[in-house]
Amino acid sequence: MNAARRTRDVLEGLSRLFAALVLATAVCYVVGFTAWTTWISFTDSALLPDYTFVGFKHYERLLGSRVFLVAYGNLAIYGVGFIVGAAATGLLLAILIDQKIRAENALRTIYLYPMALSFVVTGTVWAWLLNPDIGIENFVRGLGWDNFRFDWLIDSDLAIYAVVIAALWQASGFAMALLLAGLRSLDADIYKAAQIDGASPARMYLRIMVPAIWPIVVSVLVILLQIAIKTYDLVRALTAGGPGIATTLPTNVVYDYMFQRGEMGAGSAAAVMLLLSLLLVMVPYALFQRLQKRRQQRHD
Amino acid sequence: MIDARANAGSRIALYAVLVVFALFYLMPLLVVVLNSFRSFEEITRSSVLGLPTALRTDNWAQAWGTYCLAGACTGIKPYMWNSLLIAIPATLLSTLLGALNGYVLSLWRFRGASLVFGVITFGVFLPAQMKLVPWAIVLRELGLSNTINGLLLVHVVQGLAFTTLFCRNYYVNVPQDLIKAARIDGAGFLQIFRRIILPLSPPILIVTIIWQFTGIWNEFLYGITFSEGPQRPVTAALMALSANIAQAREYGIESAAVLIAALPTLLVYLFGGKYFVRGLTAGAVK
Amino acid sequence: MTRHHRRALLLACSLGLAHTSLHAEPRLTVISQWSAGAEGAAMDAFGNLVKKEGVTWQHSPVSGFTTDMMNKLRADIIAGHLPAAAQLKGPDIKAWSAIAPTVNMNDVVAASDFPQNVSPDLAKLHKPQGNWIALPLHIYRVNTLYASKKALDRIGATALPRTWDEFNSMAGKMAEAGITPVAHGGIAWGDTMYFELVLAGISPNAYQRAIMQLDDQALRGPEVLAGLRQLRQLTQWMNPSNAGQHWSVFLPALMRGEYGFLMMGGWASGVLKRGKFQEGKDFLCGPTPNDSQRPAFDMNADSLVFWDTRNPDLLAGQKIAAKVVMGKEFARTFTQINGSVPVRTDVDLADAGYQDCQRDAARNLKEAIAANQVLMSLGHNMAQPSGVTGELRDVLTEFVHNKRITAEQAQQRLVKAADAVR
Repeated sequence: MNAARRTRDVLEGLSRLFAALVLATAVCYVVGFTAWTTWISFTDSALLPDYTFVGFKHYERLLGSRVFLVAYGNLAIYGVGFIVGAAATGLLLAILIDQKIRAENALRTIYLYPMALSFVVTGTVWAWLLNPDIGIENFVRGLGWDNFRFDWLIDSDLAIYAVVIAALWQASGFAMALLLAGLRSLDADIYKAAQIDGASPARMYLRIMVPAIWPIVVSVLVILLQIAIKTYDLVRALTAGGPGIATTLPTNVVYDYMFQRGEMGAGSAAAVMLLLSLLLVMVPYALFQRLQKRRQQRHD
Repeated sequence: MIDARANAGSRIALYAVLVVFALFYLMPLLVVVLNSFRSFEEITRSSVLGLPTALRTDNWAQAWGTYCLAGACTGIKPYMWNSLLIAIPATLLSTLLGALNGYVLSLWRFRGASLVFGVITFGVFLPAQMKLVPWAIVLRELGLSNTINGLLLVHVVQGLAFTTLFCRNYYVNVPQDLIKAARIDGAGFLQIFRRIILPLSPPILIVTIIWQFTGIWNEFLYGITFSEGPQRPVTAALMALSANIAQAREYGIESAAVLIAALPTLLVYLFGGKYFVRGLTAGAVK
Repeated sequence: MTRHHRRALLLACSLGLAHTSLHAEPRLTVISQWSAGAEGAAMDAFGNLVKKEGVTWQHSPVSGFTTDMMNKLRADIIAGHLPAAAQLKGPDIKAWSAIAPTVNMNDVVAASDFPQNVSPDLAKLHKPQGNWIALPLHIYRVNTLYASKKALDRIGATALPRTWDEFNSMAGKMAEAGITPVAHGGIAWGDTMYFELVLAGISPNAYQRAIMQLDDQALRGPEVLAGLRQLRQLTQWMNPSNAGQHWSVFLPALMRGEYGFLMMGGWASGVLKRGKFQEGKDFLCGPTPNDSQRPAFDMNADSLVFWDTRNPDLLAGQKIAAKVVMGKEFARTFTQINGSVPVRTDVDLADAGYQDCQRDAARNLKEAIAANQVLMSLGHNMAQPSGVTGELRDVLTEFVHNKRITAEQAQQRLVKAADAVR
């Protein structure tokens, strides 16, 4: 009996240690890589890391560069459009699928599979579809509707929305999957209670279920946000950053400086600024969370 | 689950909306499927979007078994195998470890848990380009340069950010009473994890597995940089088919190859479907 | 033992000793981005030639764009694990040779007749510190003009325009006939390439000063302004639907006569050949318009750099590979498969494996060397290091796609860009 308890205790201890190590690795990875990149952004690194300090030189240069500023403007439009669009679409699809559908498996796979295709393929195919000469515009005109226009892809002002469409197509299925998992994890009692309440389906979902799975919704938003921030291949394949530089995003700038131009210092500075821009989103959210908590505490 | 009390009209509307969405999602796939049956001359002489003149399977045969890549004319078959060797262990490991992390951060309230979670979550935002050189240095120090284990390490550690995020935000919804009851019963750290948490986890685990498998399977930058020729993943083969400035792009073979390469992930989605079941917590608390 | 036997034994022993003193087993590890299609096949053929000389050939291509291959090279350098040879080009050779050790190939090069038959401007790029550390593999002519035969027929033209005035007049006629005169995709390197072709055609000398030397006066000069104006005219003749598309997407339309002209590197004729289009029947090929009365050649060349791996097997392999690369057999094999032009100007291109377009380009190269008008391509990272190219490219690509930017504004931006990176 004692031996069994001792081995159990040892196993207990080891598993806690192991868990702590895993957590520590994850933390060190994030902190370490971010710190290293920040350090490099203050150095004169070109093809390889070089630890000569040059201060804010790269930051100044980037902030004065047209492409950099255009890229951030694009990120704002694309980010909002994509995150809101994909989350809303995902939520809609999740709710619809939750309605005891026949062929649920098939439909869910159809909505999800775009994520299985790499961004390069997505970008290439959507580039053809959105090309007015050979794609959708051409097709619809061929059907007789001569004045149909769908040339966003080549319009400097609208091209970024074309990118939103392609990205939404790719990622909304996953938003749906996460939200569906969340909805399915809810207790059946909640549904029953809401139905007894006589609430309309829309209200039931929006007022009760979604708040009940709020942490999952946060996961969805975080995932979509990180896709938006890291979008690179899609732009490269869909518009090559064009027309001109109209759809360039910050990660394209990072890649360009770091790898194509062989200027690691500037590329790292661009990456650091990209991460800093996240604070614009995360800080308000953290404050909002704290306010919520305080409000709840006051109610209790 | 809403009762089918909803009338037939709204049922039809429901299906109609679902089908319209399905068409939106399928349209690009249709393009790729059609192109996989068209020959190079056909595509080059007419257009990249079009119907095949015949359902020939040359592109498929070439993509799978005979297309010449890197001096060997074996198609993408060997690369598919490499990708499996990388993606399966990396997915399983990162998912399991993420579940462990999520468990610790949500159910073992220790000071600073929120901060740790925040830091780990921040990891999902790090762009791949910025991590390339640091990883090269880390792998050199660990003696894992150009090995499969090195690549696995990269994928697992990077995946932890995501898997922890998913699992922790799922586990916070697990009723604390369950845990308390178990602790009173004398269950320890590992036991609660195995006996209570894991059985409740299928929906989030399958989503996590889907996310990780897809991400690792489609990953190119690290797969290419941290491996040697014969061990490269299938993305290297796909990229060879598509990255072209000076060449005629073999759209037909590329389409077939893309479809073949997407099959394993599709299978994961299809197979994972049955884990999207409802109410696993139902009855557990009572 | 008889005297014969003793002699045989002695001979065998000395041969055995001689063999063991040849300690090196020649081997070559190579990384490049050429893993598939014609490029991959050309590398395989190169490998066969090298294998015939007794070298173990280990080519590990990195699929993707050049940058992906450079990432692999970078990771290998960090891991302390250099390949024996890597594909690089132009100014990159100088930049990368500064961060990793290279092998001095002077003796191997001097022992051949290679340097006498190669463009000196090209050779210079391979001796950044004075010694040969790299060798060019092949050349593409960037200033190639392709015209759709059908489009030319419709406007009653039978030959390619030779000057920009002729070009503009033909293009004007095409526009009136409902043909889109200029086929252009609109990817950034393509936009840059169009500018360089225009400027090089207006004044090769101005191109040399403004772009290759980044001379401030030249950048502010009238030729650059004229170049930008001509480029603006070209953009009026382009189809905006092609923005951001790969140039192969509108090839079918070009061959059908819906577009008139395409300005692209010589590799396009390989693509057209594979699509079973015929020179003379479906398209005409020649140099882009040139106002300077003397031949000019805009060059894009891929090269192989030799790294110092401190490994005698690899060193032996490198020396043999270098000899192969400098030979005529390699030149013929490699360029026939790739659709490019040999680096050596003394290779006979009469055989059927070559297209007229390649022969034309080779002739053009020889004449341009004689006229000292060999130019290095800006858009293909030959004229300047990638940092500089990137800066100029951003200005040019915006200019091409945003018609509201005037030529004067673009010139100002080019000057500013050059200042930022000089």
